[in-house]
Formats: sequence, C-alpha cells, structure tokens
Amino acid sequence: MEALLAIEVLNLHKSFGENLAVQGVSFEVGQGEIFSLLGPNGAGKTTTISMLSCLLRPDQGDARIMGHSIRSDGTGVKSALGVVPQDIALYEDLTARENLSFWGKMYGLRGAALKKRVDEVLDVIGLRERANERVGKYSGGMKRRVNIGVALLHKPKVIYMDEPTVGIDPQSRRNILDSVVALKEQGMTVLYTTHYMEEAQELSNQVGIMDHGKMIACGTHEELVKLVGGQTRIDLTLSVDPLKVLEAWQGIEGVEHASVEDGQICLLVADSNLVLPRLFEAATRQSARITSVDIREPNLEAVFLHLTGRALRD
Amino acid sequence: MKAFDIAFKDMTRSFRSFFAVVFMFVVPLMVTGMFYLMFGNIAQNGGFDLPRTAVVIANLDEGGPEFQVNPKNIPGGREARTMGDLVVSILESEDLADLVEVSFAADAKSARAAVDTQQAQVALIIPPDFSEQFADIEEGQAVIEFYQDPTLTIGPAVMRSILDRFMDGMGGVKIAVNVFLEDADLEDYAQTGILVEQYLDDSLAQSEDAEAELLEVRAPASAPQSQDESKQNLLLTIIGPIMGGMMVFYAFYTGASTAQSILKEEEERTLPRLFTTPTPQATILTGKLLSVFLTVLVQVTVLLIAARLFFGIQWGGLASVVLAAAGIVLSASSFGIFVNSFMKDTKQSGVLFGGVLTVTGMMGMIKIFAMNSPIAKQMGDTISLLVPQGWAIRGLMQSMQGEPVGVVLVTTLAALAWSAAFFAIGVWRFNRRYV
Ligand SMILES: Nc1ncnc2c1ncn2[C@@H]1O[C@H](COP(=O)(O)OP(=O)(O)O)[C@@H](O)[C@H]1O
Ligand SMILES: [Mg+2]
Repeated sequence: MEALLAIEVLNLHKSFGENLAVQGVSFEVGQGEIFSLLGPNGAGKTTTISMLSCLLRPDQGDARIMGHSIRSDGTGVKSALGVVPQDIALYEDLTARENLSFWGKMYGLRGAALKKRVDEVLDVIGLRERANERVGKYSGGMKRRVNIGVALLHKPKVIYMDEPTVGIDPQSRRNILDSVVALKEQGMTVLYTTHYMEEAQELSNQVGIMDHGKMIACGTHEELVKLVGGQTRIDLTLSVDPLKVLEAWQGIEGVEHASVEDGQICLLVADSNLVLPRLFEAATRQSARITSVDIREPNLEAVFLHLTGRALRD
Repeated sequence: MKAFDIAFKDMTRSFRSFFAVVFMFVVPLMVTGMFYLMFGNIAQNGGFDLPRTAVVIANLDEGGPEFQVNPKNIPGGREARTMGDLVVSILESEDLADLVEVSFAADAKSARAAVDTQQAQVALIIPPDFSEQFADIEEGQAVIEFYQDPTLTIGPAVMRSILDRFMDGMGGVKIAVNVFLEDADLEDYAQTGILVEQYLDDSLAQSEDAEAELLEVRAPASAPQSQDESKQNLLLTIIGPIMGGMMVFYAFYTGASTAQSILKEEEERTLPRLFTTPTPQATILTGKLLSVFLTVLVQVTVLLIAARLFFGIQWGGLASVVLAAAGIVLSASSFGIFVNSFMKDTKQSGVLFGGVLTVTGMMGMIKIFAMNSPIAKQMGDTISLLVPQGWAIRGLMQSMQGEPVGVVLVTTLAALAWSAAFFAIGVWRFNRRYV
C-alpha cells in the first residue's frame, strides 16, 4: 500500500479579476518531508497557501491535506494544519504567553494541557524568559518566532510557513531554519515558501519553482539542477596569459567547455573534485601559477535563470 | 466556549488600552464632575451653592399712577409701592438669598463706584421713570441699567438671568436690560441661565404664566423645599440627566470602537489567522459581538455605580435601572456593529467617530440640553427619538423620574427593536464580507 501523502494538490486555479494569480498548480508532498515553493514576489505562493488553508476558495481544482479535501472538509483540513502567515499575525498588546494561550484555545486546547503546551512551545521558540512581555515590545525576529510558535501549539501533522524569514536578522533567520529542520525530524510535514533560493536548497526534499502563477519546475534539488545540465562552473585566474594554458586545459578529461572571459578562464565541468588536480598539474607544466579559484556548483538561481531568462531577485 | 475566549481576549485588549479606558470611564465622569462642581457643591452642604453675587442697587423709581401690587404675592412678602420696589424685593427675597447679596446706593454714581472699587459685582440702576414707563403699555420702555465688573462672568450672569426671568415674566411690556459692558461672556451666561432658571423653577414654584403670578393677586408661592428635597431635585434635573447623557454618548462610542476591532483584526491579519484555525466562522463573529456587548455592559455598570457613589445620583428602582441599562447596552453595541459593517477599514474611523457618532449622539441628547424650555423640550423629544441614543436616554430618564416599570419597559422594548434591526443588518453584512 502506498504511504499517505500529506499534501496533494491538483490543478489549483485562482484569479483576482483579470489577474490570474494561480494557474493550474499541482504538486505532492510526502509525510515528513519539507517542500519549498520558490518564486519571486507576486509568483502566487501566498495565494496557493491561502487556498490550501481554506482561506480562499479555488476557482478550480482541489487539494487534500492529510486526506481532507479543502473543498469539502475545511474543518478536517484546519485541524490537521498549522499555518504561519507571511505577515505577523499576533496581538501586540498581549504578552507572548497570552497570545499562545489564546491561539491554543482556538485549536481546542484547554486547561492544564494548554498550559503545558504553551510552556513547551515557549521553550521551542526560545522565549520562555520573556514570555510575559507584550509582543509589541519584541524585535522583528522575536515576533517571527512567536508567529511560528502559534502554529505549533496543537502539534499539527502539516505546517505551512509563508516566507517566515523575511526582514529579520541573520541570527533569528538561522534559528528559524534550524527549527524547521527540527520539525521535520519530529515527523512534521512542512510546506515552506521563500524567494531565497539558499533556503529552499538547504531545507527541502523537494522544491517547486513558481513564476507568474505557474509551477514551472518541480523536483529534488538534483533533479532541478539537471535541467541546467548539472555542470559546475569553475573560474580561475592565472599569473600568466590565460591563453597559454587554455589549450592544455581544454584537453583535460572532464572539462566540457572552456573559455576566456575578462582575463579569467571559465570552465564547465561535470565533477570539480576530479578535474581540479588535473588543472593544477597542467598549469605547473606550463610554469603558470593559479592565483584564484572560484567553484560554483549548479544552483536553483541558475535553474530559475535558465527557465525564465530572469534572475530570481529582480 | 471559544466565542467567550474571543470575547475575553478582546476585552483584555480594550481595558489595557489607555485611550479606551479614558473614553469609557474617565471622560463621562469628568464631564459630569465639571458640571457638578460648576453647579454647586451639593454633597457638602446639601444646598445649591452658586457663589453669591454682590449687587448694589440704586432704586430711583418715583412710582407710577396706575401701579399696584399685592404684597402677598411677592416672594419675601414685602410691600411694593413701585415697580422698582418690586424688583428690589424680589432680589432681597429669602429664596434668592443664596444667590444674591443686596446692598443699596443713594444714586447711580455711587452704585457704579461700588462696582469700580470691587465692593459689588453688579450695579443695578433703576431709573426714576421706571414705573411710569412700565405702566405705559403702548410706548413704555422700562430700562434697568446693568453695570458689571468686566473681569467677572458668573456673578453678573446670574444677575442677568434673574432679571431676564422677571422681565420676561412681565411680557407685553417693552422692557430691556441695558448692559453697558459689552464684554460679558455670553457663553457662560447661557449656561448659567439654564441653571438659574432651574433654580427659580424649584424655589419659586412658578407657574408657566409668570406674568399672572407677578401682577395678579394669587396665592403665595409654595413653601420652600427642604434641603434634601432640593438636593435631590438638582440631581434629578441637572446632574442626573447630564451623567445619563454622557453615559449613553460614550457607551455608543465604546460600542463603535469595540466593534471596530473586527476591522482592526482584519488589518492586523489576526482575523484571517483565526479563519485558519478549526473555529467556525459563526463562532468567531459571535465572539466579536459578545465582546462588544460585554464591554459596553461593563462600562455602563461601572458608570451607573460610580455616578451613584460620586454624585449621589439616584437612577431609580432596580428593575427600571436594569431595563434602562439593558436598553443602553443593547442599542450601543448593536449600533457599533451596524456602523462598522459599512466601513471598509479603520481609516474611515474619523467619519465614524467625528460624524455618525457625534451627530446621532447630539441628536439623542437634545432633550437633555433643552430641558428648560417646554417647546424646545418637545421638539428635542421628537428629534432625539429619531436616533437610538434618544431611546437609550429616554429609558434612563424615565427610570430616574420614577416612572412605573411598565413605562420603562416599553422604552426598553423600543430600544430592543432598534438593536435587533442594527444587529441583524450588521451581522448579515459582516457574514457576507467574510464567507
Ligand atoms: N486579495 C487579493 N486581491 C487581488 N489580487 C491579489 C490578492 N492577493 C494576491 N493578489 C495578486 O495575486 C498575485 C500573486 O500574489 P501572491 O500570491 O501574494 O504572491 P507571492 O506570495 O508569491 O508573493 C499578485 O499579482 C498579487 O498582486
Ligand atoms: Mg507571499
């Protein structure tokens, strides 16, 4: 028997008047996986998440969250789900503890169980010590952490995080990324949206790249970089005229392409670990010194560029 | 249960907000307190204690041929041979003793000098032909010269008010009070006028036909009231309605600003987040409505009790007060929900508070500020009943005036009908907005 999918999205459509915000998005996320939706601002990530959390009704298509249809079983979906909205949605005039208690009640927790869970979550987000301060007095990063904490209270099977690291300091960002991994390790399924390709790359089992309301590519990191050929790019600077070694390097096994750009030699190679020692050997034979090496493994940025002709952060 | 959680959370937020608390409790009590201090320190001496005005009178009236007054008719019982004497005896009467301290000057010059040297606040100069002019119904122009210390406002205002009252009472004769100093503060005068008229109503028990009372032979005015009675009378007629009006006005304010939390939560993004929890939309809306209702309930209860403790206002029998309070709470909260359901966002709150609430609130309170003029009062009655505030106030006034519970109940039912309509429309509009 096939394992139950945590999230199963089938051909979702949503438009706002003329604006076709989401046009036929489909993807699947297995239980305990992290799936990232990567795309620039306006790509349709939030709209997709809103439909998947029953805040917006799709014009067309359906989705199942832990087997509950977003069209016919909203309560089932919402019970299985923790949502971390893109904008911080907290009561600033209440303390962190009061916020967590209130939201816990909205998820059906009560009494001693609620109190215990609030303490646990305060520990997870590292704010136990300052739990009785009003959220309005917190820094942006601390608010983000409470914003996430709210979604963890009822120990949901699936959690959505919509750009949880926007506009915060590197330390809080690190903290949040670590906690996402920790959640996955506890068996939670995470649907994560971001426009930072490093985050998608670091966290995810699978990445869906969105642009203009469409899912333009979807797969594991390896599968995606294969779309750009899977080659690593190496840029080298030499103590001598690059043309002197260019020919020798072109002949080395594993070098698929070599050219000179701006006084540097640019190589595309299949595996940099194999090729690099050979480059140094050849250079020594030509009495040339390599003064700098820059290795760029293929990344999602390159994939996005390859697919859309635009940089991700335009 | 979740609805109560939402309501409780909202109330915690409201009562934590400095401005909300100030507008809910402090402002209405303070405004009433100001009137209370202005109109007398009742709690201490049980009397109606305006500062006494020192008046110096130069009565030069030589009398007129046709003038006759029955001394019994004059408060204080002094005999008056001339019209000037009549004015003097009225000012000297026991009933005005709390307000006016009378002294006399031999001529106009020394009377004015008394004011100039600040021995008196007001000089009244009654000219030699006063009675004569008064008696000349066709052409007469009876004039009293009114000379005041320009730096003072309240004392002269009290005096003018008393004079106007009597002069008006002698309607049909062309009489003018001649004010020599232009800079008398007219606004103060108007306010004090209301007060003094009230006082005279109580102490002289005047009939509406003042002319008849003054100039015809009639039974003496009723005996002066006991201090307790007049204290209660003042509370009933002035401070009570003002506090009631303030309470209703600010209850509606609270209703509107609390109901605004629905829009505010939409902007804070917490409302959409609530919709992502397994909480039915109906529960969420119920919670929000409940919070509006409970917040106004707390406010009105606190104000009723505080006004009783601070100002000694008797709101009426328990059943009547409960009914009247229910009318206020229901109409204020449902009106808040109703008005907010028409607003796009909280940026429009200027329109809400500055416009809708102020205008309807004023309309509702016309009755209270028009309480001394029978015609204005009747008009005010009608106008105020065009807005829910008017009905809310009406119930409270009826309770205060000791009307039977049945009468208050009818008013409360009317307020309830308003509330039901507002509530239904508001809920319908909010539901449509979010489903
Ligand atoms: N409530 C809305 N009304 C109208 N247009 C909207 C609304 N929400 C989103 N959009 C539009 O839909 C498109 C996708 O937006 P969104 O899903 O927020 O993108 P992302 O989250 O990827 O940045 C954008 O063009 C945006 O302007
Ligand atoms: Mg977004």
